[in-house]
Amino acid sequence: MKPIAPLRRTRARTLIATGLVTSLALLTACTKSEDSDAGKGGSSARASDPGQVVASPSGGSGPTCTIGAYGGGKLDLKSATVGFSQSEKEANPFRIAETASIKAEAAKRGVKLLTANAQSQFSKQISDVQDLIAKGADLLVVAPLNSDGWEPVLRTAAAKHIPIVTVDRKINATACKDYVSFIGSDFVRQGERAADSMIEATGGKGEIAILLGAAGNNVTTERTKGFEDRIKQKAPGLKVVFRQTGDFAREKGQSVTENLIQSKPGIKGIYAENDEMGLGAVNALKGAGKKPGDVKIVTIDGTRNAVRGIVDGWISGVIESNPRFGPLAFQTLDAFTRGEPVSEDIVIQDSAYTKANAAADVDKAY
Amino acid sequence: MTTGTEETVVRAETAAVSGDDPPGARRSERLSAVAQQHGALVTLAVVVVAASLGFDTFLTGDNLENMALSSAFLAVVALGMTFVIVTGGIDLSVGSLFALGGVLAAWGSQYGTVVALLLPLVVCGLVGLVNGLLIARSGLAPFIVTLASMLGARGVLLALTDEGSRTYLVDKGSFFADLGQGAPLGIGVPVWITVALFVLGAVVLRRTRFGQYVYAVGGNEDAAALMGAPVARTKVGVYTLSGVCAGLAGALNAAWLVSGVTILGSGMELEAISAVVIGGSLLTGGFGYLSGTLVGVALLKVIQNVINQIGSLDSAYQQVVSGAFLAVVVIAQTWLGRRQRVL
Repeated sequence: MKPIAPLRRTRARTLIATGLVTSLALLTACTKSEDSDAGKGGSSARASDPGQVVASPSGGSGPTCTIGAYGGGKLDLKSATVGFSQSEKEANPFRIAETASIKAEAAKRGVKLLTANAQSQFSKQISDVQDLIAKGADLLVVAPLNSDGWEPVLRTAAAKHIPIVTVDRKINATACKDYVSFIGSDFVRQGERAADSMIEATGGKGEIAILLGAAGNNVTTERTKGFEDRIKQKAPGLKVVFRQTGDFAREKGQSVTENLIQSKPGIKGIYAENDEMGLGAVNALKGAGKKPGDVKIVTIDGTRNAVRGIVDGWISGVIESNPRFGPLAFQTLDAFTRGEPVSEDIVIQDSAYTKANAAADVDKAY
Repeated sequence: MTTGTEETVVRAETAAVSGDDPPGARRSERLSAVAQQHGALVTLAVVVVAASLGFDTFLTGDNLENMALSSAFLAVVALGMTFVIVTGGIDLSVGSLFALGGVLAAWGSQYGTVVALLLPLVVCGLVGLVNGLLIARSGLAPFIVTLASMLGARGVLLALTDEGSRTYLVDKGSFFADLGQGAPLGIGVPVWITVALFVLGAVVLRRTRFGQYVYAVGGNEDAAALMGAPVARTKVGVYTLSGVCAGLAGALNAAWLVSGVTILGSGMELEAISAVVIGGSLLTGGFGYLSGTLVGVALLKVIQNVINQIGSLDSAYQQVVSGAFLAVVVIAQTWLGRRQRVL
């Protein structure tokens, strides 16, 4: 039995069917994005914002890495090509500000920059970074989607002695051997500060919920650990009765909160591990007919919409997580390629937004 | 399959027409079949030539090796998907099974390579078997059945890994890790395995009785049943095969990444379906080639690579470009097929 050669009619059908599949694929990709009015305007203005400040005193006690210890030779950053691999599409303000900051700094220093975006697909990020290496990147700045699973990239980079700096999330590997340094916030500390803010907002009593971030990376784990440990230690009256992942996305945060309101109507507070999920929670509470302040919300990131949420009374506190990695990342690469020692763990300083400073500082938010 | 009878009538008519005028019409029909199969190949060749002229870093050994290795896993998933689509079905569970297979393999690797490979194959194969039984014996729609197992398999994965927060690691020195890391003759083991599986799959699809049943069921289920083809058993077979392929791809991927990454595979089913359809297989069933699927996977990969070669597109435009690229590919392929037929 031979397959029958198709007629024009069936071929037209293939075309339609393929078109359908394609648009479906695009659609699913699109639904993951969030519309945010903060994201639409003024990314150039944001790019000119000051970069991050290192929390630990420079040349501090932490271990350092030099190009001699890592392998490879010195080079001039000005004539080098830097590859930047972004993990998620630039749809939420954190990613928009992060990419804009890296691009702005590269332009300022006149460094050739190649960028790739994994669109939240980890397999794509692995091949993205390998593409950047094949394309001739001498140095890499990576915002990892997942902390594990980097072996193929690390092997390629090691074989070519390409220094890697990871920003905002960590790679589970050995510093100064597999990668040079990590630049990012102290996420445990962020969790602790969020807990302090929650204790203050709720008075330290009642049932609270946690909207967890995406699985498989150190940010979620550490923001959870810092928060829960602090609550246990300082406010035993607060009980975490609900933990579910909102994948760092607004619509997921909203749907999880809708379920939460149904199953735990007496909930006093919600800790959202990023602003987007927190804003989703606000939407859900509005939909359920709650009033601002009925449920105390504490979030982390410091995006403009969340800070506005404090002004409006829906959000009690926002712990900042500064995404403007450009200046510090290039400063680190510059020092490293000139042969100077750089810190393996570069922890940045984050501020916070409360009722007291939200209205005044909303323009500082990204 | 409401159009099944109508299609048969039209096909019968053509057969009658070509009966009157055998040499010319037969040849043009064969040509059109060839074009359907090779339209994607021609498009791929054009894109590759254009990319190698446009970017001097495209046609390098490193880049080709990267592309081959990182698309091997999708290719294995798309292999199983081709069998399913040729029977006129669809399998949405492969993305979740790919991720689940990876996690099971990474967990199992602590007990040795045999466990690391067998566990995902057996579990994902069983899910495929259940899919097949529900579809073939209960007459449920493949779309719904495999959507359910897609959600179910993802749930099992989350349960095994504390909501996705625990990643099982593979020992870097183990033989299982070598399956992902090794590169005899400079080409990665997963690529060798993929090539071998496609040769084997093509033989099964084109040269065995099972393969002929697959085409027959997809062409016209009632006619196939009347001719004595075991319709239900064939369907169970293809869904089981698809599950096994997804599990194997996941296991190989875990060996490559030396860890059971929990966030993999979402959207992979659509990529696999796209690759199969770009490769010239009909979603309505009854027509398709594994070589076409391989070309489809390669095209998807090359498009992604070209976008990275450009190296400065915003993520939003990347999606627009890859969407437009796919549309152009499909239109070109359809046009090629039609043109060949007119000639």
